[in-house]
Order: sequence, then C-alpha cells, then structure tokens
Amino acid sequence: MRTFLYFLLYMVIAVAVIFLAAVLGAHGAWYFAWLVGTAMIVLISAAGGALLDTQEEHAAQQAPAERDRS
Amino acid sequence: MMVNGTVVALSRIQFAATALYHFLFVPLTLGLSFLLAAMETVYVTTGKPIYKDMARFWGKLLMINFALGVATGLTMEFQFGTNWSFYSGFVGDIFGAPLAIEGLMAFFMESTFIGLMVFGWERLSKGQHLAVTWLVAFGSNLSALWILVANSFMQNPRGAAFDPLTMRMQLTSFPQLIFNPDAQSKFVHTSVAGYVTAAIFVAGVSAYYMLHKRHVELAKRSFRMAALFGVLATIAVITLGDALGFVDARVQPTKLAAMEGLWKSEAAPMPFNLIAFPSQAQRRNVADVRVPYLLSLLVTHSLTGTVPGADALERQAVRRIKDGIPAVQALHVLARNPTDAAALAEFDAHRKDLGYGFLLERYAPDLNDATAAQLERAARDIIPPVAAVFWSFRVMVALGLLMLAYFVITVLYTLRNRIQRKTWLLKTAVWMIPVPFIANEAGWLVAELGRQPWTVFDVLPTWMSASTHSVAYMAFSLIGFVVLYSVFIAVEMYLMVRAIRLGPAEHGDAGGPGPQVRPSLSPRPLPAAPYGRRLEG
Ligand code: HEM
Repeated sequence: MRTFLYFLLYMVIAVAVIFLAAVLGAHGAWYFAWLVGTAMIVLISAAGGALLDTQEEHAAQQAPAERDRS
Repeated sequence: MMVNGTVVALSRIQFAATALYHFLFVPLTLGLSFLLAAMETVYVTTGKPIYKDMARFWGKLLMINFALGVATGLTMEFQFGTNWSFYSGFVGDIFGAPLAIEGLMAFFMESTFIGLMVFGWERLSKGQHLAVTWLVAFGSNLSALWILVANSFMQNPRGAAFDPLTMRMQLTSFPQLIFNPDAQSKFVHTSVAGYVTAAIFVAGVSAYYMLHKRHVELAKRSFRMAALFGVLATIAVITLGDALGFVDARVQPTKLAAMEGLWKSEAAPMPFNLIAFPSQAQRRNVADVRVPYLLSLLVTHSLTGTVPGADALERQAVRRIKDGIPAVQALHVLARNPTDAAALAEFDAHRKDLGYGFLLERYAPDLNDATAAQLERAARDIIPPVAAVFWSFRVMVALGLLMLAYFVITVLYTLRNRIQRKTWLLKTAVWMIPVPFIANEAGWLVAELGRQPWTVFDVLPTWMSASTHSVAYMAFSLIGFVVLYSVFIAVEMYLMVRAIRLGPAEHGDAGGPGPQVRPSLSPRPLPAAPYGRRLEG
C-alpha cells in the first residue's frame, strides 16, 4: 500500500512537471529556463561540494603513499 | 488637480531611497536560499554532518537577512497608497493582484517555511527538512516573481486597457500580464542576480575564515559550492541582461537611448559608446569613446539593425502628443457626462496616445491654448536623465564582467583544491562582497530612472501619479524613513558580523572535523600503492 501511495505521488508530480513544462515552454520560455537552470546550478554546486570530499579522501590516501615512497 | 512639483520629487526620492535600501536585503535571500538547498541536498544524499553544519550556519545568516528584508519591504507596499494614490487608483485593478499575491507568498508561504527551516532541525526528518528548505527557496523567488510582474507592467503595460467610464485601467488578460516578455526576462535577471550576490557573499565570508584558519573544512566546502554556483549564475545574469536589453530596444526605446547615450539616430552598423559624458541640456555627449559596429550587434543581434536616437524619439513624441490632445479633451467631457457618445468615439480614436496628452497637460493645463514651446518641452521630457542611466548601466555591466572573471579564477583554484593557499585570492574574495550589491542597486537605477517620465510607460506620467501631500509632510516622512532604514542597515551589519565572528562553532562544529572517514560498513577503496610496493618487495 505504502509503495502504491508513493507511486501515485510520484506520478502526480511527474504529470504536474510535464504540464508545467508544456505550458511554460510555449508561453514563458524564460520562466522555463529559470526552472531548469536553477535546478542545474544547484545540482552542479552540490556535486562540486561532494566532489571535494572525494578529492580529500583521495589525497588522504595518497599522503601515506607519498610518505612510504620517500 | 496639479500636484506640487516638489512633492512629486520628494515622493520619488522617498520611493527610490526605500527601494534601494530594501534591495540591499532581497537579493541575498533570493540566492542564499537556493545555495542552502544545494548544501542540504549534499547533506541528505551523503549523510556527512559538515553539510548540515553548513546549512545551519548559512541558514542563520539567511534568517537575519530575511527578517530585515521583510521589515524594509513592508513599508514600500503602503507607500503606493500613501504617496502614489493617483497611480494606485489608476492601475490598482491590475497592480493590486500581483502585489497581493506577493504579500501572501512572502508573509505566509515564505515566512512559515523559513521558520520551519531554522527551528525544525530537531523536529523534522531529514527528507522533510530538505523539502522545507527547497520550498523556502522557491517561495522567496516566487514572491519576487509577483512584484517583478507588477514592475514589468509599469515598464511595458500589457494585458490591460484604460476604461474611460471608470477612469482607470482594467485587466484584460492575466496570462498577458504574467507572460509579458519584459516580466519574464526581468524576473530571471533579478532572481539570478540574487544568486550571484549570495555566491559572492558566501565565498567572501568563507575566504575570511580560511584567511584566519577558522572553520577551514566548512569554509572550503562553502567556497567551492559558492564558486560553482556563482560562475553559472553570472553567466546567466549576463545572458538575461542581454535579453532585457533586447526587450527594452523594442518596448522602451527611450530607456535604451539613455542607456547608450544615443542622442542622434545613426545608420547601421551603429557604434557603441563605451565611455561618454552626456549633457542633458546640450542634448549631446560632451566627449565619448566609441567602438564601431558594437551597438547594432548588442541590441539588435545583427549588423544591419538600428535603434532610434533621442532626436527621432522626440520627433515621434511631438506627433503622439498632438494625437493625445483630443483623447485628454474627450476624457474631460466624459468625466462630466459619461454617456456622451461623440466624446467616447473621439476618445477611442485617440486612446493610444492618451498618456502623451497627459505629458502636455503638465505645461498647458488648458490644452486648447498649448503653445509650440510647451509642446516641445513636453516632448523633451520623454528622454530620461541620460547621464545617470548611462553610467548606472555601465557600472552594472562592468561589475558583471568583473564578477565573471573572478568566479572563473576561483573555480579553477577551488576545483584543484588549492584555494586555501591562494592568500591573494582569498583577500580579493572578501573585498568582492560589496560588488554585487552595488551592481544590483545600479540595475534598479537603470530600470527605474530609465522609465521616466512615466510611472506606467507610455500611459501614465509620473507628474500625475503622486498624492497631494504637503512638502513638509513629505520631507518629514522622507527623513524618518532614511533614519529608520539606516538603523535597519546598521542592525543587519551588526547581527551579520556578530554571527560571522561567532562562526558555526555554535552548532557543535568548531573548525570542522576534517575529511570524514567513511563508516566501516561501506565499501572502502583499498590504498593500492603501498600494497603494490610491498608485493613488489
Ligand atoms: C553584465 C551584463 C548585464 C547586462 C547587459 C544587464 C542588463 C540590464 C538591463 C537592460 C536592465 C534594465 C531592465 C529594465 O529595463 O527594466 C537591468 C536591470 C537590472 N540588473 Fe542588470 N545587467 C547585467 C548585469 C547585472 C549584474 C551582474 C547584476 C547584479 C548582480 C544585475 C542586476 C540588475 C538588477 C537588480 C536590475 C533591476 C531589476 C531588473 O530590471 O531586472 N545586472 N540589467
């Protein structure tokens, strides 16, 4: 039941997004660009943050290696 | 009834002053809310507590800023009624709807969710809290959307028509009002300008921490996210600035002429005035430095396109004023007798130039006796104060390009994870904090000074729009506002600086835990090199 409700919720969201995209795409191209662009900017910035953690972990692993080598 | 010129000037100064104060707060809220959404998204997806600390710390600064933003915005809504009552009566049917939606969004949706966001960390699940943070971001930007739709109506009145029987403008199409190209590009330009502002702010404060070796892990991550956020937002703000200029070229040619210091019409391809010293009295630029071809390219996106100079626009205004005279005269007849069919027909024939007739009424209260000199004077009024608009525009664009260069450099260093060693860049980042705020204020000066002499472009002149207060009342309230808002700014600065000095330590993170070791249950990549060497013997 819970899964079904989630399924319904996501379907409603998907239909709403498609509707919004269709209306905004036709009448408000810049509004549409704002929605898509904002999501993109936020996600790229978030990915940049997560990438920093990976870089630091990588560097932390490299550091003992460097020490061992010297 | 003629409103005293000094009262109109004081009403304008009061609105400009309060709007400029208010807009010191707004952009930071618009952008910081989405940056918070980015930080919390990382927290929820990776589970690393440092991102929670980041979201909480920057959220606290957002809260301070939001509270003062609302306080300064509140009084502006009332000013429409108190100082611009004729304007409010004239366009209230259209202007009122978006303004009310904006108020509802800001005070109910945005404020409620911001409260939940700041105080709900312990009460909401991770997912719920993230949803709330995203709703704060959308709520604040969508409330800005409505006020910008209202402002765009003033720049390019679409979706409404003047009704001579009710003597005011009435809404004819709500979709036309909200999908107005001016509203679209203005909203995105302004919202994204907010993103740029927040990115510079977060990067600057983070740089301050890194310079002082405090909260370094938190600062490094905040800086990285802000730099990526900022570089994309700056590209977007410039793109949308270009789109706005393109819209202006078609719907507000007088504003464009002022922005470009364009007194005389020229053949294509038109040169661009990089630097100029415009003289309103002499109707020319006293000196200028020009770049060939560039203006045609910038504002028409072609080498063969042209835009009219002030001279051609003034000539056109003379024709429109002459055409507007019968419209105003018919309106006076209709005011006395709304059923006069001849007056109604006369009005309909000339209605599109009604606003231009009003321009002349300022100098010739009895339009039957208007002289050629009065007509010329009214026509000259259609050119906004060129030097102020020209230079405000140059300041905004120059700062936009400066911020682009800055973000490109910071992204390069932060992606290599070397930013904390580049002391000069960190110092620059701190000094960059005021830059977007100045660009924002300059942007509004372009938009609003460039709209003069109209409150509603081509329809309602500013000289008619104000309330009939006394000079003393206006001067007194202006001083009151300036003092009060200066106190607000001082309070904001004090609270912000105090919160920044205190830092995120309050939330249990005194400097950041350093890179988190992955939980032992999750797959851990083996450090291959040492093993390899051991095996090699
Ligand atoms: C660099 C290229 C840029 C261009 C070509 C540009 C263009 C414009 C134009 C034409 C306007 C007047 C809009 C109107 O007619 O009502 C405007 C307004 C404005 N600009 Fe810019 N702009 C640029 C950069 C920026 C930057 C970097 C910021 C701030 C970070 C900014 C913030 C604003 C604001 C707040 C307004 C007033 C609100 C509005 O009308 O959108 N602009 N800009």
